[in-house]
Amino acid sequence: MINIFLIVLIKIFAVVLIMLWVTIGVSIVYRRRRTKNLLLIEKTFAEVISKHLYPYPGEELSLVEIQRIFRNVGIIPSKPRNVQYLIDLMIRTQRSLLGENYEKLVVLFNQIPPYGASVSKLKSTKWYVKARGIREIYEMDQTRYVKEVIKERNNRNIYVRREAQIAMVIFLGWESLRFLSYLKREMTLWQQIKIVEKLHDLYPEPNLQYLRRAYESEKTYANELIMRIIRKFNLITEVDYILQFVDNRNFDTRESAIYCISSFYLSNSQLKLLKEKYFKVPNVSQQIQLLKYIDKISFDKDLEFYKKLLYTADDIIKLSTAEILWNNGYKEEVQEFYYQQYTNQSLKVEDSL
Amino acid sequence: MSFDILYYTYFIVKFSFLLYGLILIFIYSSGILLSDRAVKRNKKRAHFLQVNDIVSATDIPSVTLVAPAYNEGKTIVENVKSLLAIQYPFYDLLIVNDGSTDNTMQLLIDKYDLEPFDTTFSTQPIPTATVNRIFKSRKAQYKQLTVIDKNNGGKADAINAGINFAASELILCTDADCIIEQDALLKMVRPYLEESDQEIIACGGAIGIANDSVISNGTIKELRLPNDMIPMIQVVEYIRAFLIGRMGWGEINGLMLVSGAFGMYPRNRLIDVGGYDAKTVGEDFDLCIKLRVHMEQIKKPYKVVYVPETLCWTEAPPDYDIFIKQRDRWARGLIETLFIHKKLFLNPKYRNVGLFFIPYWFFFEFGAPIVEFLGLISLIVFGIFGLINWTTALLLLFSVYLFGCIFSTVAIFFYVKSFKHYSTSKQVTELLLAAYLEPFLYHPVLVYAQIKGYYKILFNIKSGWGVMKRRGFKTID
Repeated sequence: MINIFLIVLIKIFAVVLIMLWVTIGVSIVYRRRRTKNLLLIEKTFAEVISKHLYPYPGEELSLVEIQRIFRNVGIIPSKPRNVQYLIDLMIRTQRSLLGENYEKLVVLFNQIPPYGASVSKLKSTKWYVKARGIREIYEMDQTRYVKEVIKERNNRNIYVRREAQIAMVIFLGWESLRFLSYLKREMTLWQQIKIVEKLHDLYPEPNLQYLRRAYESEKTYANELIMRIIRKFNLITEVDYILQFVDNRNFDTRESAIYCISSFYLSNSQLKLLKEKYFKVPNVSQQIQLLKYIDKISFDKDLEFYKKLLYTADDIIKLSTAEILWNNGYKEEVQEFYYQQYTNQSLKVEDSL
Repeated sequence: MSFDILYYTYFIVKFSFLLYGLILIFIYSSGILLSDRAVKRNKKRAHFLQVNDIVSATDIPSVTLVAPAYNEGKTIVENVKSLLAIQYPFYDLLIVNDGSTDNTMQLLIDKYDLEPFDTTFSTQPIPTATVNRIFKSRKAQYKQLTVIDKNNGGKADAINAGINFAASELILCTDADCIIEQDALLKMVRPYLEESDQEIIACGGAIGIANDSVISNGTIKELRLPNDMIPMIQVVEYIRAFLIGRMGWGEINGLMLVSGAFGMYPRNRLIDVGGYDAKTVGEDFDLCIKLRVHMEQIKKPYKVVYVPETLCWTEAPPDYDIFIKQRDRWARGLIETLFIHKKLFLNPKYRNVGLFFIPYWFFFEFGAPIVEFLGLISLIVFGIFGLINWTTALLLLFSVYLFGCIFSTVAIFFYVKSFKHYSTSKQVTELLLAAYLEPFLYHPVLVYAQIKGYYKILFNIKSGWGVMKRRGFKTID
């Protein structure tokens, strides 16, 4: 009985193995053919786009001609993967174009099949299709779909909401910050970086009215994002906002605050406040970062502050403080601290030796 | 009466082995499903965070690559050149000369025009062997290079010295003789950029085998499959371990090991746990457990992740002799680390780590060679007493062999489907053949090496890292 079962099992395993071999074979052949096909599409696209953007006089390609050329290489609605590849090529190309050529490419994007491919992706239940659709909408400047995109700003999937929030910044600029208080879910570091970058690239003139309105948000990611914006746009008037987070309970928020404040010089009162907050920072590495920053921006060394650290702080901070004092000419203070470490008892031991 | 006892013993032993085997088959099958899901998802996610975007980004975390070097005079200059060429906007390279007795240090000083700088006030949060000097290059093109010259303390101690002196948010630990893909950091940093409510405490990348491949300017010019059978089988083993094993475990946040040859960690967490343990030969396994235990203790949500792409290439042991030494060391590292962290075993305080992951490592990673060894002995003993039905035993053996073949074939299929490294029919056929020969030419030696390692631990036979002779890569100018 067992033997029969085992023989059946072996037969099943053998069939599975043969099926796997066939699948691997098919996969290799498919990949080879697909690569060839994609290369052909890429080559055709390069030729069409160069002729479309930089035509010889009298040899401009008409829309019908372009559509026919693409159709001949398999860009038809029944082959969505080919269409997607073409869309990806257009997005890649538009990143290196500006002005009139960019406009021409965007117009072409809207005129070739399948029409409305990006917005139709927003209806998909698959997160990556939806996120891709949003990305295509903002990359190809399809402003008319902004409402549909904004609806996705609190999507459960992190990629969908990230793309939607980036799209909001691209389409609405500084005004998009007013949504910050109403966002319900976490924002990743990359999301913050992209938002700041897009804001800086597309709307270089800061609008403090919207920024200050966003200060009301109590969410950690919103605080971090605002700090990054202040840093990127070098908004000296807003430094106090960053300062309040230097001793925040959250490690990452403190990290962002220390990172962002490091690109500013502080007024005397701000520096005083920072020194007060310094003692409330619970992490030694961050305290050292702050110490180096305080040293960098202080014209006059606050001996009292450094002495306090030298005699009361953690060993690593003591060493860093000693380095600062030594390099700034306070060698006697460092030596005094050094010698006072030897207690009478240890000196007696040396004496007896 | 005595026959009855023998028969009952046989019955119990037989079903214990069967149960063990079935659980293992269930775990492996689950691994296939989980890794398939993980690899697909990873591919989709990568579309939304492409390396080109990261290259041009500001505000991304800074990374220091720490590479210990011990007596690597023959290759150190080229290796450093290769490591300096890695693409990342905020990148430092820290080479730690771990008391080399050859000309490693002098070569670095001469080639990279190094000069020592004042270290009077340098701080060392993790204690290490004495650091003698720290060098920086005078040349602007090598400004991201720092070389630490310290007394010998072993690989773990050298990396700890690097962690101490690094000033970045993230640390990538690797070996100076590994070949790192130029865009490796950009890919490794992705999980950190995308972390949300769970802190990423460690990120590993798949490691590939580059024996007999052609290397030029520190990068792989032409990836070839190894000519010898032993490294060839290890290619399959690595594919299986990284693509199915680690990706699968990563999917349920059950990764307990990030390879010492290629792992990225937040510096603050490394300092929190005191860096690597220089006393064990399984320091990478130990570090990952320490990090997880730390996060469990401070009750912060965390994640250990794996990047499925092969970003680091290494040279595998080319013959049985070196292979046995390597696996004997790995086995010792495993047992030492499990012993160090014995308090975690079935301890509900450490949640999944204590209740599932550590017991898995105990029963199925540490236990598997012992079970195999005992299985062989049982087969002989019960065979002598005539209790074994040899037809059934052979059929069972063949079905287990076929299952193993299916498992390896699926791993190769996943790899061929997802990556372009081994894409020709010839290469795939060679990999499949190696996979099917593995149980005969490789696995028995592996079990022997592991049992040898356990034996050394059991009888307290001192044995450190051992000398790993390497043939070196084929390089062209």
